[in-house]
Amino acid sequence: MALSLIFKQTCIKFLEDKFLGLSIQTCSALQIREKHVHPQPRLRNPTWFTKKNRVFHDDFVTSENTKFIQEVLEDQYKTPTKIELPENTIQWTPGLRRTGVIARKIGELPMWLKNGKKISTTLLQVLDNHVIKYYSPEEYDPPHKRAVKIKKKAGCLLIGAEATDPTSFTKEYCNLFKNTGVMPKKYLARFFISPDAKLAPATPITAMHFAVGNYVDVRGKTKYRGFQGVMKRHGFKGMPASHGVTKTHRRGGNIGGGGEKGRVWPGTKMPGHMGNRYRIAKGLKIWRINTKYNVLWVSGIGVPGATNSLVHIYDTNLPLRQPTKPLAFPTYFHLDSNVEEDIYDESLHKFSDPTIMFEKEKN
Amino acid sequence: MLLSTFKIRNFFVFNTLKLMRNVSAQPNAASTETKKPDTLKSLSVSEYRNVYVEFLPDPTVEFRNPIREKLERFDMLARRENVDIPEFYVGSILAVTYSDPHSLGKTNRFVGICIKREGCGLRAKFLLRNVIDQQGVEVLYEMYDPSIIKVEVLRLEKRLDDELLYLRDSLPEYSTFDSNMEMEILPEGTPIPINTLKVKLKPKPWLERWERKNLRGVESIDVPDYVLEKAKKVATPWEKHDLMKQYMKTIPEEEQITIFNEIQPQLQQLELTRKKLKRKRSFIKPVKLG
Repeated sequence: MALSLIFKQTCIKFLEDKFLGLSIQTCSALQIREKHVHPQPRLRNPTWFTKKNRVFHDDFVTSENTKFIQEVLEDQYKTPTKIELPENTIQWTPGLRRTGVIARKIGELPMWLKNGKKISTTLLQVLDNHVIKYYSPEEYDPPHKRAVKIKKKAGCLLIGAEATDPTSFTKEYCNLFKNTGVMPKKYLARFFISPDAKLAPATPITAMHFAVGNYVDVRGKTKYRGFQGVMKRHGFKGMPASHGVTKTHRRGGNIGGGGEKGRVWPGTKMPGHMGNRYRIAKGLKIWRINTKYNVLWVSGIGVPGATNSLVHIYDTNLPLRQPTKPLAFPTYFHLDSNVEEDIYDESLHKFSDPTIMFEKEKN
Repeated sequence: MLLSTFKIRNFFVFNTLKLMRNVSAQPNAASTETKKPDTLKSLSVSEYRNVYVEFLPDPTVEFRNPIREKLERFDMLARRENVDIPEFYVGSILAVTYSDPHSLGKTNRFVGICIKREGCGLRAKFLLRNVIDQQGVEVLYEMYDPSIIKVEVLRLEKRLDDELLYLRDSLPEYSTFDSNMEMEILPEGTPIPINTLKVKLKPKPWLERWERKNLRGVESIDVPDYVLEKAKKVATPWEKHDLMKQYMKTIPEEEQITIFNEIQPQLQQLELTRKKLKRKRSFIKPVKLG
């Protein structure tokens, strides 16, 4: 009896030792190195990130069937969906943030002012923007929470541009547009807006969303220039071409001091990849709007991106360039009304105007 | 077809176009006899590309956009309704009247030879040169600048080269033109005369290495043999046979036709008004001035 008891005890102890060893092993495998113990939130993609483009197979569809598909599509999108105008719209006040638009940079042209001065402008064509979905601040739950609590939470508006044949997209992507009644769009973009500026799905947004004389911010992806030296990337001066200079004509020179600060400081300008980054050109004035082709003439040639690349246009957030007159809020709705084809800024010379004559001021 | 897509400045095309001009001029002359003088035959689309060069967009593929080009053309036509910009070439003598912001209430007139044309669309420019008080003066005008009041072609002619920048290094008498020069009017239907004048260069130093430029409008260049040999080494005589290069530098002919067909009604209207003005003038025999 006693013997069996001893055997049992030793057995259990043996097993305990074994388990202890196991537990130690698992502990060492689960070591936590970060300071913050709580798990970081995992990055998750927005709900509209689905696979977009369909893989094309040889379907052996007869020409009649392809015609039939075309007919079905035409029938489906023939009648434009009725736009729901927002109930009890409010007037725009400086605190309110409207939606932006998706546009295409189509080129740069000179324009002349009435005082004879030449200015350079960039042309931005507002594409066929339609509202796809609105996420209220509660609904739109970002994966990364900020430490500071935000008082005025912004809603998120999903906007699509450039209607495309839906047969080229996947089913999941087409389902995003299912309830809106608009044709699936090639490009999607989200814009953070005040909840008051929300729009119903299928609301079109045109160039008349903006007004001449106001300022906008334009976000685009800069041209990719690859690995560039310091002269091109940061505009360094380089070193002399002659006077005994050897092997250092386009180099950056010294990158740090000695002594206590004897190291390369963070942020030192050095060669590296240049371009292919999203950048915002801020505070560009709208000089002219063409309502027929939905084109904005915007000041300067500094809009990021190549010609024919996509850009997003927002109302500017620069404090000194805020609009003086109330904006069309939440967007311009009178699409059927007759507006002039070209709307010019007061100081801009129209090409159809007679030649500028500089007259003496009559006192 | 490829031959026709060559740039207008190409010499070979000049010859062919001259022929075309002659061919098109003959039925025109015949028609004026039989029909009423009011029916004026307008320029054909193939000739538009010489007269309205700047209506053809920049052929660089990455800068092109059909909507931008269309809007640009509308603006150009709108401006041309307010100012008459006549047909002219490098080598023609122009007089430009413009309003000057620095002398209020007055206008400024500059006479000079066109030594360069550049840019297209609203960016089109031309460079005029004259020698005033033994001092060479060059003024670069923007074609669609709204402060230009009037552009007159005093002598319509071409030279042997696409650019006459070598006039800067040639003797001053070649770029001296009387500012009171009178307009020389060519009889209707005549081809654009080509001035085969060969200028004399001043001795070195020059602004550019003219011996490398393959110039036709310059008398024999006096440089040492080793300089000529060096010029021969860097010459690229095969480039004129590079059809692909020519193609990339030009707008295809089909596209040119679509562009000019689109703006033809407006251009015809402009031409009619110009021709009416022309008929009012009497023919003046060209007089040589200083």
